[in-house]
Amino acid sequence: MAAEEDGDVFEITDFTTASEWERFIARLEEVLHEWKLANRDPLPNVPKGKFTEGPWEEKNEEILFADFKFLINYTRLKPSASAEAESRSSREREDADDEQQDEHKPPTITNDIISMDNDFPSRAHCLCRWYGLQEFLVIQPAPNFGVIDSESRAKILESSAAIALSDSGCHVPVFIQLQQKWRKLYTGVAIVPGANISFEMSHLKKLPSKYLHLDGLLNMFKGKLGCEYVSMPPVSVSVRFTYILEDWIHCPWPQMPPDFFSFSEGEVGCSELDVLPFGACEDPVSELHLSCTWPYLSADMIVETSGYTDLDPLQAPQWSVRIQMTEDPQCLLGQLLRAFMELCTRTETTDEILGRLATEGTDPSEKDGGEDITNALQRLTEPNLPYHIPSLGSVVSRASSKLKIKPEEAPIPPNSLNKILQHLFPDATGLGGSQSQKGKGQNSKTRDSTPVEESPPHGSPERVEEVFNEALKQLRSAPPDSLTYRLAVCMAIINLNHGGLRAVAHLWQEFILEMRYRWENNILIPDLGASASNKPSSSSSTTSSSPSAPSASVPAPNLGSCLLHQKLQMLNCCIERKVKRESAGYGHEDTVLHEASSGVFESDTSTSQPDNDAVGGGTAARKVASVNGSTTDDEDDEFFECDDGDSDEVSEAGGKGGQRRISGDSTSPRRPGSGKKNLISEKSIDSYMSDSSFKDAALMKAEGRLAPMKNMRSLSTNEPLFIPVTQEPSPMTEDMLEEQAEVLAKLGSSAEGSQLRARMQSACLLSDMESFKAANPGCCLGDFVRWYSPRDFIEEEEEDGEEKEEEERNEKNISRQCSRTEEEDGRNSASEEASGERPEDSEKDANCEAKIDSPKAADGKKSPASEEIPPQATAKASSSETSSDQDHVSSHCRPQRGHLSQRMQIPGNMWVEVWQSARHIPARRQKRLFDDTKEAEKVLHFLSGLRPSELVLHLLPMVIHASVLKLAEKEDPDVPVLKTLTDQVISKAVKVTRWPHPPEVKRYEDVIRMIELAETVSSRSKSLKTKFTRDLLEKGKAEEELHNFVSSLLQQPEVDVRGGAYGPAGSAIHKLFSAAQKAALMILEDEESTGEDAAAQPEQMKPASTVHDFPSPSAREYILRALIPRPAPYSRVLPQRMYCVLVDGDYRLAGAFCSDTTFQ
Amino acid sequence: MASANDSKWQKDAADQNFDYMFKLLIIGNSSVGKTSFLFRYADDSFTSAFVSTVGIDFKVKTVFRQDKRVKLQIWDTAGQERYRTITTAYYRGAMGFILMYDVTNEESFNAVQDWCTQIKTHAWSNASVVLVGNKCDLEESRVVNQSRGQDLAQDLGLEFFETSAKENINVKAVFERLVDIICDKMSESLDSDPTLVSNTAKATRLTENPNMQNNNCAC
Repeated sequence: MAAEEDGDVFEITDFTTASEWERFIARLEEVLHEWKLANRDPLPNVPKGKFTEGPWEEKNEEILFADFKFLINYTRLKPSASAEAESRSSREREDADDEQQDEHKPPTITNDIISMDNDFPSRAHCLCRWYGLQEFLVIQPAPNFGVIDSESRAKILESSAAIALSDSGCHVPVFIQLQQKWRKLYTGVAIVPGANISFEMSHLKKLPSKYLHLDGLLNMFKGKLGCEYVSMPPVSVSVRFTYILEDWIHCPWPQMPPDFFSFSEGEVGCSELDVLPFGACEDPVSELHLSCTWPYLSADMIVETSGYTDLDPLQAPQWSVRIQMTEDPQCLLGQLLRAFMELCTRTETTDEILGRLATEGTDPSEKDGGEDITNALQRLTEPNLPYHIPSLGSVVSRASSKLKIKPEEAPIPPNSLNKILQHLFPDATGLGGSQSQKGKGQNSKTRDSTPVEESPPHGSPERVEEVFNEALKQLRSAPPDSLTYRLAVCMAIINLNHGGLRAVAHLWQEFILEMRYRWENNILIPDLGASASNKPSSSSSTTSSSPSAPSASVPAPNLGSCLLHQKLQMLNCCIERKVKRESAGYGHEDTVLHEASSGVFESDTSTSQPDNDAVGGGTAARKVASVNGSTTDDEDDEFFECDDGDSDEVSEAGGKGGQRRISGDSTSPRRPGSGKKNLISEKSIDSYMSDSSFKDAALMKAEGRLAPMKNMRSLSTNEPLFIPVTQEPSPMTEDMLEEQAEVLAKLGSSAEGSQLRARMQSACLLSDMESFKAANPGCCLGDFVRWYSPRDFIEEEEEDGEEKEEEERNEKNISRQCSRTEEEDGRNSASEEASGERPEDSEKDANCEAKIDSPKAADGKKSPASEEIPPQATAKASSSETSSDQDHVSSHCRPQRGHLSQRMQIPGNMWVEVWQSARHIPARRQKRLFDDTKEAEKVLHFLSGLRPSELVLHLLPMVIHASVLKLAEKEDPDVPVLKTLTDQVISKAVKVTRWPHPPEVKRYEDVIRMIELAETVSSRSKSLKTKFTRDLLEKGKAEEELHNFVSSLLQQPEVDVRGGAYGPAGSAIHKLFSAAQKAALMILEDEESTGEDAAAQPEQMKPASTVHDFPSPSAREYILRALIPRPAPYSRVLPQRMYCVLVDGDYRLAGAFCSDTTFQ
Repeated sequence: MASANDSKWQKDAADQNFDYMFKLLIIGNSSVGKTSFLFRYADDSFTSAFVSTVGIDFKVKTVFRQDKRVKLQIWDTAGQERYRTITTAYYRGAMGFILMYDVTNEESFNAVQDWCTQIKTHAWSNASVVLVGNKCDLEESRVVNQSRGQDLAQDLGLEFFETSAKENINVKAVFERLVDIICDKMSESLDSDPTLVSNTAKATRLTENPNMQNNNCAC
């Protein structure tokens, strides 16, 4: 045993001495095994056409030869699922039937070489194209490892591959890439049972002329095979000639370059400003490649020498066409978009751009200075003081409205500028372009809000409509009939055609001035569309009496549109509010105006009606006047609105007065005791009146009533309840909303945060409560809740005897609450009236209360500090409430019996708290919830703060939107790919425009690229259509065929021409070629007829004449195949193949030659 | 149950520690129980009466879905007509809606259609909506039976649940379903949706405390 072991040890082979070469081969084999290429069954034949369509798969690996790195790549056509299944089942069958048969099955490679099904694939790997292979391995030097340029290196690699292949029993051919990569020069080897195949290739700039034709090539093939001594078996030949058509004689590119001068010459209207250009400047179709294929010829049958040829393209059995497109044709829309987007990279401010143009001596900051003055003065105006700065602001703006630019230096000449501004603001028909003249034509016309599209759309109207609606709904831009949209399109066009960045900055400056002018002169901005929120949101469920947002004629910012549009809408809202505010003017007119407009006149207010009408009429007139730009009338009057310490008292007094008057007019029967109380209240008013020197009797009534509430009477006073005029909710733009949401979110989700949030949002509630109190003197929270949140007032149908006591106790509570409310308002008469209506026993209480209350009320009148008193009362009320049964706390008032819901009675809840602090002030004298002055200035500041680059980003959504509509309009229903492209553009644009700001240029770039692609494809289709449709057809019915042909040209790399030269498409192509040929050869007109004849009657076989119809082929490809025994006559018969491609200056011969290894 | 006394710190943790944030909105007529529903979900608490919501309020809850922390920012809205304009402004940013009615109140049920129109008008078209009939514990005063809710949901193409915030019936299920729907829609669109806020990049390592919502007292 030991001896044996010793012997073993002695004989150990040292494998570490293996050479680099051996290791390389071993690694190669390893890879072949890894990829399961060794000892594998042959693959089935490739079905026809599969090389072009089928998916190819690749595997890659790195291999080291010493320190030289190679890449080995395996490429194969992915077998289709069905083929794979078939091969598996056939293999199984064979396995079961006869194992011997398997050996006879020829390996994949020999099949591929000889198969004629897949000659000249239109798109495939070059090795596949040249040798017809469905799988192969390529070894090439890794990048940066030099090239294989010496014969010996190539040979070493080739023989290594051969060793690896035969060792592993792999039948896949291996190619070694030689020389530079672009030369596509390979040498290769394959080992199949009993034979070797060597792949040889030569790539030459020049080929001896004797080999330039089939004749010579055949001789070379035969010579290479070295079988002169046997009778040459027939060589089969596949030939393909490719002809190139470059001159499209019949149909020059129809698109005219845009006329850049027409606009400035002033002959055209608006159309140039809102129609985006579309199409390619140059013909997007550059060449047509016609390939004529003779798929199977016997070499004996045809002759092609330098002097004679049998290969007439018209006789070729197969025609196929591919179109060479112009690389990156200049497309007008794409150009416009790119140019516009490029502005995003500019960093200058508007002032910097335009400042250079300003004439010397003027202060460039003057405009800003003007704004500052305006702001300073505006700052003096408290939000609740709706008085208007006289004309100072407007004067300044008017002074600065003309830019300090010499007309001759202005980027946009004044004449053009006028046209542009008129286009943007069709409501201003002033003759000049200066803003000061704008107002004159305010009422003259409203723009017809249809997008201007003169050219008849290509696409079906339904499709255009579909895209139109889809884009409108999804895209975050602005409606196509809006000012924002017009501005965007106009800016893009001006940028491209009328002066670039400077013109954009100039127009923007003018736009801002116009905006400011309109703000200062109360002129609404036209065409800002209807917003979503303005749609009728009438809910059947809500009672008519519940408060809802009053519908405004000017829509609130539509949050579904882009920010710029929202900002402009916001500005419009501000203008509208300002107009309302100013026209409402002084005192009670506000109420009157609203009442007049709502058409509600109650008997209560009828006494003042005539007066109201007169004032209302005056207001309307002034409104018109102010709209016309003469605001001087109002300005002084507005100081009346000054709301300071005094006005509180005035309003209180007014409220009381109103109360008195109403109770006087009231038809409700008077209760005993109420007269006495009235007396008291009158007395107090008298005393008050004596206090204040100026008193207006008209102020002494309920204020700010909008309409009576249906069958509702106050729980405390039994007076009819009125819906008050309320402040409209503040319109918000997206950024404001975000800011607010962020502030709210920052408070966190704790209870304190919640409360703080509620408090922050209580301004609107407070305002509504105050308005309600003003409109309904003496009302209580229950009244308010019945209007505001009806479900929080629980009405009771009947009362159980059991609960009665309790209810009565609660009645006291509520009455106390009511009266307490009135204390705060400084009114006690109401509570007494309420108490007058009570059942006997409680009346006593109420009277007591009233007695107690009156001194407090008197206090209240003198100092607003009385408002601080309630907490005690609240505590009292709430303690009694909480002590009572929670399930049935009834705050019970007549005549409607009912109580506040449980949640409204939660002690210290927001509603009660706000109710208590709410004073008796009608909406118009309240602090403005929406400070239009401030908001308008914010918008204007935002606009003027935009650099042109930022402006462009804000305008891009609309420009993209316009482009999408343009695409849809130009869509060709025959080319389905266009529809797909448009849809892709839309979905991409939707995503981009909705991206939360700040918007990103990069994302827009993607969209623009897609639009360019769609435009290019559209132009191609248009170009091809003009080329192939026009009178090239002999038979009308073939038109459809031609349509299909054109649309498949757009979608497939290579299209077969059905029927070859004699099909409708074929004859059209023939005509194109012959026309081009005639032009090239300068054939005279009279000779043309013969050419036409020849073309028309190709059946007559006049090769001599038809050859002239085509230029000489630009590329000729030949595949020669034969089954010949090699190397010796007694060897097995094996497939041989040679592929030749002859292109001027680029000749390639690629041969695959099999030789028997058994019978050499 | 990490000591969660410091609510400030908790807030920060809740703000930062998530992979996705969904904004949800609860809408419906006034006093259908929106606030109670939210408190039940976020705090697991119930009070018979919450102060009527003024404007808009919110709560936060982080849930786990497929190993992702999803922070739900749930906005609770005032149902009163007057607050429509204020609350609809928030629709645009919301990814999911819980449209609620009260099974004991016919009017709130009749308003569902109208609320749906509001969503269509003001929200992005890809927002998900779940219809919820609340207060289903109050069988004796029920006026809208379950099948009517079911039928309406089918007509409107919404998912439907009957819930009770008081008895804690289906509350969690509603939110889970809504999150599922949103996630499904999200994975449908391969590109990340712009309205989706992903916080993965800036997620900071802070101790996860799934119970933090319970610490907010519900008063």
